[in-house]
Amino acid sequence: MQNPFNILIAGVGGQGNVTSGKILATAAQREGLRPVIGETFGASRRGGTVYTHVRIGDTDLGPLIPVGRLHVLLGLEPMETLRASLEFAGRNTIVIMSSVSIPPIGVHARTDEYPPVESIISSLEKMCARVHTVDSDSILRPINAIRSLNILLIGIMAGLGISPLGIESLRLAMLDILGPSDKNLQAFELGLSDNTG
Amino acid sequence: MSSVTMDESPNSEEIMSGNVAFAKGAIHAGVGFCTSYPGTPSTEITETLLQYRNETGMIVEWSVNEKVALESAAGASWMGIPSLCVMKSLGLNVAADFLLNLNLSGVGEGGLVIIVCDDPKGHSSSNEQDSRFYAKAAQIPLFEPSTPQQAKDVVAHALELSQIFRVPVLIRSTTRLSHSGALVSSSPFSSHLWVPSQNLPSGLYNVPNPEKQHRELMEKLELIQDKFDNHIMNSPPKEWKDILFVATGVCQKYVEEAMKYIEEDVSFFGIVTTYPVPHKLIHECLKHSKRIFFFEENDAFVEDQFRIVASLENSPCILDGKHSGLVPFSGEMNVDLVLEALRDFMTPKKEAEYEAVPVLDSRSLLIPRPLTFCAGCTHRNVYYALQRVRKRLKGKLVVTGDIGCYSLGVFYHNSMETMQSMGSGIGTANGIARLADFALDSKVVSLAGDSTFFHACIPALINARHKNVDLTFLILDNSTTAMTGFQSHPGAAEQDESDRIVEIEDIVRSIGPDSFIRIGATDVVDLTDVMHATIKQPGLKVMLIDSICRLERKRKQQPQEGSIRIETSLCQGESCRLCVSEYGCPAITWSSDSETAEILDHLCVQCGSCIAICPQRAIQEE
Ligand code: SF4
Ligand code: SF4
Repeated sequence: MQNPFNILIAGVGGQGNVTSGKILATAAQREGLRPVIGETFGASRRGGTVYTHVRIGDTDLGPLIPVGRLHVLLGLEPMETLRASLEFAGRNTIVIMSSVSIPPIGVHARTDEYPPVESIISSLEKMCARVHTVDSDSILRPINAIRSLNILLIGIMAGLGISPLGIESLRLAMLDILGPSDKNLQAFELGLSDNTG
Repeated sequence: MSSVTMDESPNSEEIMSGNVAFAKGAIHAGVGFCTSYPGTPSTEITETLLQYRNETGMIVEWSVNEKVALESAAGASWMGIPSLCVMKSLGLNVAADFLLNLNLSGVGEGGLVIIVCDDPKGHSSSNEQDSRFYAKAAQIPLFEPSTPQQAKDVVAHALELSQIFRVPVLIRSTTRLSHSGALVSSSPFSSHLWVPSQNLPSGLYNVPNPEKQHRELMEKLELIQDKFDNHIMNSPPKEWKDILFVATGVCQKYVEEAMKYIEEDVSFFGIVTTYPVPHKLIHECLKHSKRIFFFEENDAFVEDQFRIVASLENSPCILDGKHSGLVPFSGEMNVDLVLEALRDFMTPKKEAEYEAVPVLDSRSLLIPRPLTFCAGCTHRNVYYALQRVRKRLKGKLVVTGDIGCYSLGVFYHNSMETMQSMGSGIGTANGIARLADFALDSKVVSLAGDSTFFHACIPALINARHKNVDLTFLILDNSTTAMTGFQSHPGAAEQDESDRIVEIEDIVRSIGPDSFIRIGATDVVDLTDVMHATIKQPGLKVMLIDSICRLERKRKQQPQEGSIRIETSLCQGESCRLCVSEYGCPAITWSSDSETAEILDHLCVQCGSCIAICPQRAIQEE
């Protein structure tokens, strides 16, 4: 394992960003590692950009991931994934991203234009080692679990085997943080088996 | 002493935020009394103590403002109860008047610790002040923990010091400590029994000789310096190298990590007891080092203390930090800024795998994601109405604002025009309105929320009455402290059983405005008309606007199924766009297929407010 191993969750307030951080940190603790979570709420409840930094190592670290040292970027929203990537990604970063966009208010009012998701993906591909995109709505809508997007992405990460967090630790951590929830478990399993991106 | 187990597993480690760790540290230290006013990033400390209060028996309260909170905590401390007062950076400004007297009078046997949470970069604040200057101004000791574990441990140290020297002791946190989670040792709580003394200790005033008290405080500070010299929370270097890095707060962790990314071997000093930094300790550092780099968030607080001793000692040691332009005075620190400061002095390790690959043209793809009022938030209706009134008054309207969720009004067509401290909206409006004597022709409006009203608006409202100015004060009352997560306040809808509600209406009426109007905020048309008529009238007018926080509502009830829709045959399309461009509820979007407005059912809370703003009656309820 790279020590520390750094995961950033990027999204919009209300997408379960903070919960995801807790799940990853709890899984790390189950693995006998030392997690540190850095988060900024405040804006989180009112539709702003939210990043959660999760750092996993054998000593306590500061809460913010240094530029370029990002291993996995979990992107809950395309443009926020790009924003985070421009700030933190390096050539080793693996991106797991939902392609479902949440347009900022300026897009409704037409003072801003949301960038084409394809352009976002191609920019990410230039910056990072690998970009795994998932049309999360098409996977989660059939099981009526749109709100489990964060769990789906964690499942994909677990399935790809790219983090020091084992599938079982993540499953148990989910149980610790969210309690028993069929939808979340289903979303996690769907993530594990997703290899479309 | 009986043992109450509340932490899940005794003597193990648990992931907790810095704020939760502060709270648990306070419980372990034996704090029996905690007062606070909510403010990010400090709120969760008191929330955690409230959560455990049945088990601990601690008295915990959301006070009306930070000054009252500190005074109340001092009172309890005087009567022998270990006390804690928690607030955000700006809150300490409110409490400062009392603090700069209490330092001289002294606290009681119980001791008194203040935790102040600063917000470098102002993630959730209107400034990024470094509250450590209050330690210097009040000449009281200061601790700056660097991790959640230290956050837990520091409270007992601070309280002990306060009890020994009878001075208030300050602990400074920052956003990145308060809101970071890490493993912290957890152990069962011990229960405490607090018995107040029945009388006050003597001499709790500074007259007739404040200078004598001041001298005594300075003497205490000398003794505290000696205690800090070998304080267990500091991490002095194990061996001295030519170059020394000194860091405080979360910067300790940033610097430790940066040290792994450079070739040179340097020594490191993490200081937690940052005021007063003992002169002996500074002397040692200056003696053993050729060059010292300082890393701290915001001001050059520790750096300045070193510079004073260096100049007194004529030290040849080179001091580098904020004053030499290497470390920024503003914003947050991080590992990259530490490395940037060291660029001309140290050799970075070559690690090609971690280089960022700049793809600069992608930056142009990004668009801003401004904060906005929630779908169905009635604050939007108030500002929409104000904008209509502004038009009707041909622009002759000034609107001064205040601190709370409704502060987002500055981003809503700039309809709230000022925002400074708690209560300053009505205060500044007083001055503007008095210019009627100089023939000011614009109408003056100020607005504030319910919690802010109690916190700091009442004296200014009395002033407005007394000076008989022409101004309209809007109170946006959603019956909770919404911004920070629904804390109770004197007028809140939800109260503890033992609390008594204080009605805003009663207070306002007793001040005797020329007119008082209570109105709901969901009917935008009615609100606009009443607001217009009220503002036009001369005199002091107060509108108490019954508002609804949708987050608060959502907490309590499930939203119904979607029933608001756009009748596309009626929507005027491109030529109108009023609902998306001007009103701007995030649940209304623009459909490029039908070229009409469209309701996003999963966001819409069916408040119905948008129905009345559509001139074509295209927005309908089903
Ligand atoms: S305000 Fe009414 S007519 Fe105008 S765009 Fe919106 S729905 Fe259409
Ligand atoms: S009813 Fe209208 S204003 Fe209310 S939440 Fe729905 S779209 Fe927004």
